[in-house]
Amino acid sequence: MSVDYSQLEEIDGTRWTWHYWPSSRLDASRCVVPFGCLFTPLRPLPNMPAALPYPPVVSRDGAVLNPYCSVDFRARMWVCPFTFQRNQLPPHYAEMPEGQVPPELVPEYTVVEYRLTDRPPAPPPAFVFVLDTTVPAAQLEVAKEYVLKALALLPPDAVVGLITFGQNVHVHEIGFVEAAKSYVLRGNKNYDAAAVQTLLGLGFAATAAASGKAVTAAAGRSLHGHASGGLGTFLQPVSECEFMLTSILESMGRDPWPVAADERPKRCTGVALAVAGALLECTYAGYGAHICLLVGGPATAGPGMIVGSKLEDELRSHTDIEKDNAPLLKKATKHYDELATRLVNAGHSVSVWGCALDQVGFYEMKACVDRTGGVFIMAESFTHPMFKRSLEKFFERDAEGGGGGGYLRRHFVATVEVDCSRELAITGMIGPCASLQRKSAAVSADTEVGIGGTSAWRICSLDPDTTLGVFFEVINPHGNPIPDGHYRYVQFRTTYQHSSGEYRLRVATCAGRWGDGNDLALLSAGFDQEASAVLMARLAVYRTENEEAFDILRWLDRLLIRLCARFGEYQRDRPETFRLGATLSLYPQFMFHLRRSNLLQVFNTSPDESAYFRSHLARVPVSDALLMVQPSLIQYTLEQPPTPVLLDVASVRPEAILLLDAFFFVVVFCGDTIAQWRKAGYHLQHEFRNLAELLQAPRRDAEHFIEHRFPYPRYIETDQHGSQARFLLAKLNPSATHTTGHVDVLSGGVAGGGNTEFLYTDDVSMEVFLEHLKRAAVAAT
Amino acid sequence: MFEWFWSILSYLGLYYKNAKILFLGLDNAGKTTLMHVLKDDRLAQHVPTQHATAEEVIVGKVRFRAFDLGGHEVARQIWRNYYTNVDAIVFMVDAVDRERFLEGKAELDRLLADEQLSDVPFLILGNKIDVPQAASEEELRTALGLHHLTTGKGDGFRGMGAGGGGGGGGKDIRPLELFMCSVVRRMGYGEGFRWLSSYL
Repeated sequence: MSVDYSQLEEIDGTRWTWHYWPSSRLDASRCVVPFGCLFTPLRPLPNMPAALPYPPVVSRDGAVLNPYCSVDFRARMWVCPFTFQRNQLPPHYAEMPEGQVPPELVPEYTVVEYRLTDRPPAPPPAFVFVLDTTVPAAQLEVAKEYVLKALALLPPDAVVGLITFGQNVHVHEIGFVEAAKSYVLRGNKNYDAAAVQTLLGLGFAATAAASGKAVTAAAGRSLHGHASGGLGTFLQPVSECEFMLTSILESMGRDPWPVAADERPKRCTGVALAVAGALLECTYAGYGAHICLLVGGPATAGPGMIVGSKLEDELRSHTDIEKDNAPLLKKATKHYDELATRLVNAGHSVSVWGCALDQVGFYEMKACVDRTGGVFIMAESFTHPMFKRSLEKFFERDAEGGGGGGYLRRHFVATVEVDCSRELAITGMIGPCASLQRKSAAVSADTEVGIGGTSAWRICSLDPDTTLGVFFEVINPHGNPIPDGHYRYVQFRTTYQHSSGEYRLRVATCAGRWGDGNDLALLSAGFDQEASAVLMARLAVYRTENEEAFDILRWLDRLLIRLCARFGEYQRDRPETFRLGATLSLYPQFMFHLRRSNLLQVFNTSPDESAYFRSHLARVPVSDALLMVQPSLIQYTLEQPPTPVLLDVASVRPEAILLLDAFFFVVVFCGDTIAQWRKAGYHLQHEFRNLAELLQAPRRDAEHFIEHRFPYPRYIETDQHGSQARFLLAKLNPSATHTTGHVDVLSGGVAGGGNTEFLYTDDVSMEVFLEHLKRAAVAAT
Repeated sequence: MFEWFWSILSYLGLYYKNAKILFLGLDNAGKTTLMHVLKDDRLAQHVPTQHATAEEVIVGKVRFRAFDLGGHEVARQIWRNYYTNVDAIVFMVDAVDRERFLEGKAELDRLLADEQLSDVPFLILGNKIDVPQAASEEELRTALGLHHLTTGKGDGFRGMGAGGGGGGGGKDIRPLELFMCSVVRRMGYGEGFRWLSSYL
């Protein structure tokens, strides 16, 4: 039977779309689904040895010694599996006793991590909080409380800064305990690093940071020496400034500028972000730093504004964007795109905590977050658990490390380099990364997928879940057979600043098999339909940047038909003979749900919501992404233990409770009968303990899903026919609708008493979709 | 003469009146479903609206810029951000959900009392009459306390032409009327929008 690919993920953090690759370019092009993987660079791997305390052995071309290299200890030589170049081993390898091999050559250790102790450690990571003070007072109080909470969660040596903004930007001095003081920068002006440097008097620290010395010295945990520079004045270790920051925040009120009744508050979000970026650029360039923007409304002033401050100016909708009727969009996007480039160059990232009932401008800001490894958090207010719990999760620490409380799970300034056998080439990546524009022999000469044209990418901030979509192509020409026993190799080298300050290099080397491009059974056997669906979803979502949704859906359909035509078993023009093997059988369903999901559909979705959903799809591992595409559904009844059921309206039953996990929200849905029992209070009676247990079980399981989820999802408890039931119904396959014959609309369904739930929708059901697919596949040539 | 010219253009789809309208009402009243039917003539099952969305929909001779605002309690806080320059309010009520008539009435009363909306026409749609248990027009009219507020289903122009009689569209009186409809059966709201258009 089919392989459980999530097990393989535990070995090296990769999920490949195909496990057998056709050895010729031509055959590969007929496989439809791209060759590639979802790669989680810092995934905790149960089999990885403890970080190695010595530097890696690196070939002339940059490849790192690994278990797939042929090594001759006596001759002190090793052969790089990518270029077949011979390289020298360091002397002490030759002196190893017979039969003993260093960990990086042990066959099971295809992933090893090195501690790069020859590099002086980086200073502790910096977090600059950028806080919107135009929100209502009650909201501001909670936002302030959670900035303080973040300080408490951070390790004491982490460096922090505070910028607040409304009509203007306030950069707060936190280095002097005597009196609170802040520098005010105008909210309608754009500031580059040089301007901020002059205005804040950052001269010394800036030049020092540029030379890389002073900041390194700061790693000595003593920032007092630089009190005259930006580091001491505006950025301080938590342990030094917690008192000062607390008093600044406690005495801080709302932005004092008056707001007319027909206006929005003036909010210069774009400028505040630019100032935060510039401050870090002057003081922390090249070292891990994260800007945390807490914002409660749209940017209405200065560069980066997305809507005018008059209420009559409307926030742009998807329709406006399509019809080019969003006058501020281009200018704002350009502002944030340019800022994103500066952030990437400095190695810094931005996370945005947008807590408002309406849009705040995620759509325009997405480059600042998506290219820098930051995250978007969307909540309706600062008091909502989706904000509070997500923030706590963001600052979580691991079990490792001393200092009580471990190291932050979030690490910094990573460079991911990819190398591969010469029969294949790297075409690009889709994920929270930016190109480092490094050409190597492994880079495809003519194909670019996502962020391509390079063999190295920067991820300014990443956690153990951060996952990249990596794309390759086979370039070995047809008629150039690859000898038996030859493998294809890919090596991922992730250099990063661990949150402890130590630099580390994680090397994951993956070997895979070649196969005959015409052996469809073999190719199918190695098809990971989950990874494929997720990689395709990333590709489709990436395309939404430049293409109409309609064209993307058509493109997905075409590819699906071609895949089924190639790998299905059927007689031509006889749809009833069509069948797909077990390894492909779920793939069409994934595509069906992907087409319907709000990753691609934009009706009833704001541009900000789209940006939010898409941003998360492009950074989560396969299992989470799959929930976004096709949520999981579990049924609880009195008769049976919890059972996974089809994501179909037929699964809705009056005597069952359903638990839906759609990643961004989790729904506990109580069938009619059970809801009536509960309303009658039966579950409180001793003899109906089993009902009480039935009501509790899905809640417990939901709690379990939610506990491990980032961002913290919306949690909904609803009864059948309740208003919130729509969270579930919208995700179900509409196998029974108001138009299907077997449902009597007038007596069944909503009317009660009937057992059959149906949906009011014109959407096609999966059955119809699959029928069309079969017909198209058997007809295709 | 010009009337005739505009009506030809409008017949040819070349001229529309523009109007900004808001879809308001409690959650699950059917606002988004109606919006989708008006925009794409497609019925679909939607998740509860979170962020407000805007669509351009053409009904008869009017090109509406329609805002679909979330109806759950918290989302109602931002309704007033959209009142500026609004030409009409479409207030939807789930005619089946009797438990929430009172809540719906409270929201409607709040809107009617808002000064910014004092002369804005209100089209109230009692939705879901395809369901047998749905309230009748009379029942809903009573539940929402509309008996002394509605201004008659007559045509606004004719009403004014007749000197404020008949249709009741007097100059100082805000046009307000209740129409029963079933969005899923695509019935009832057309009359409502025709009525509304005559006041734009």
